[in-house]
Amino acid sequence: MAVIDAEHLSKRFGKKVLAVDDVSFSVEPGTITGFLGPNGAGKTTTLRMIVDLVRPSGGAVRVLGSRYRDLTRPTTRVGALLDASGFHPGRSGANALRVVAAGAGISYDRVDAALEMVELGGAARRAVKGYSTGMKQRLALAAALLGDPEVLILDEPANGLDPEGIRWLRIFLKARAAEGRTVLVSSHVLAEVEQTVDDILIISKGKLLAQGPISELTRTAQPVVRVRSPQAEKLEELLTARGAAVNRLGDALAVRGPASAEVGEVAQSGGVVLHELLTEQPSLEDLFLQIAGTRKEA
Amino acid sequence: MIALLRAELLKLRSTRTALGMGIAAALVTVLPAILLIAFLPKGTIGGDEARTILTAGSSLVTYIVLVFGILGMTGEYRHGTITYTYLATPRRGRVMVVKLVVYALVGCLAMLLALLLANLIGVIGLPIRGVSFPAPDGAALADYARQIVTAGLITAFGVALGALFRAQVVTVAGTLIWALMVEPLIVAFKPHIGAWLPFNVFSQVISLPIGADGDAAGGLSRPEAFLVSIGYIAAVSVLAVFISMRRDVT
Repeated sequence: MAVIDAEHLSKRFGKKVLAVDDVSFSVEPGTITGFLGPNGAGKTTTLRMIVDLVRPSGGAVRVLGSRYRDLTRPTTRVGALLDASGFHPGRSGANALRVVAAGAGISYDRVDAALEMVELGGAARRAVKGYSTGMKQRLALAAALLGDPEVLILDEPANGLDPEGIRWLRIFLKARAAEGRTVLVSSHVLAEVEQTVDDILIISKGKLLAQGPISELTRTAQPVVRVRSPQAEKLEELLTARGAAVNRLGDALAVRGPASAEVGEVAQSGGVVLHELLTEQPSLEDLFLQIAGTRKEA
Repeated sequence: MIALLRAELLKLRSTRTALGMGIAAALVTVLPAILLIAFLPKGTIGGDEARTILTAGSSLVTYIVLVFGILGMTGEYRHGTITYTYLATPRRGRVMVVKLVVYALVGCLAMLLALLLANLIGVIGLPIRGVSFPAPDGAALADYARQIVTAGLITAFGVALGALFRAQVVTVAGTLIWALMVEPLIVAFKPHIGAWLPFNVFSQVISLPIGADGDAAGGLSRPEAFLVSIGYIAAVSVLAVFISMRRDVT
């Protein structure tokens, strides 16, 4: 049985904004699923619909087989990090978590354990207003972990974390999945989650563009040809004229469509000097751009 | 419900808002009482009269607990803590009920302490000015009880208003303008309508405020005022819950 099961989920804000448009997906137990898309794609709205903070305009979503509101002591089943600023600035970190624990019927003993888990034990007595952005993010993660839940829903958990913090988060999420827990984690920084997730959901402009195991999706994606040339602009024109999708940054091109041999031939026929030509398996970012590009063309 | 109750009590204990409210309530009670004792010519008033004046400052306590009630609910939205509150208790009506009960009790407690403080100052201070401070009789105790109950009702009303309007500054400012300016004007020019307006109804639980003869001026009896007060709180609370169940927490 899927841990999270969304069917034809839609959310409209006012008459003009369709934030989520007929999105259906499922999250399997024991996996880390990346919920990926640019800012404003509808990720946060979808996650908030899962935990009943935002009411869907259409469709339904079930978590652990029920609507979130029908779960008994829901925060002991589903932990959610949705808003790192959701703490009273005058409370200490420990008291902020005690308030959450008290409301959820969770023992205060779990507060110290959760703070230690996110390495905030030393700052437990400090007021939240003195926390850095990264510390607030860790505190929000601790709040999600308080009930020792089997499902974690994390909205942009790496926001505000430094590189060390991001690495820590990656290890942390993998450890949770290794314990058999299910994690749904959203991010707009694709490289950030690429090494962490098993499955991905790609959303853009409220529509779900792709879902499945990351290994499968990247395997079926077109490889990317990386080119470096002092005449990169000219080569870009030549390749674009042949229908290739080209991204240029300085003297480097990422080309999707033609194989490397064809790119080399185009360069040679146009008298373009190449300094580098290689084929790469597509990254998550390449995959996302391909999928989003395909949908745009369609 | 017990978990929610624990959480609300911890919320009150873990910030300075409740402490600030307590200090403000103590100040508005103590300062007028001390000034009265300091400037009271010896032997000019009797003990009962002095007690009435000493406890007059407690009427300001009702406005303090009103604002406290509003802050209790709007603070959840202002600081974003409502997200965790609703994650733990997705049934939003329960959150409202517990907040109403807890804040009503705190409002009662604040008024009780204010009245105790005023009486304490009377017991200690008035003999210095040659006025004996008599022990409260049945009528005085009944009046205190009404003030305590009304403070609880007004605090709960503040919570309900906060849940309805959510925006902290707008709700506090709007409510105080209504209570201190708009209602008194309506009462002055249209007393029959004014008698039914919320803050005037609350004050009628304590006394008959419209002229010397409340009934003749279209006022309410105390039991009526009490029931209408409960009606106001219930109506605003039900409306707030109804709307909050449809509101998105974004």
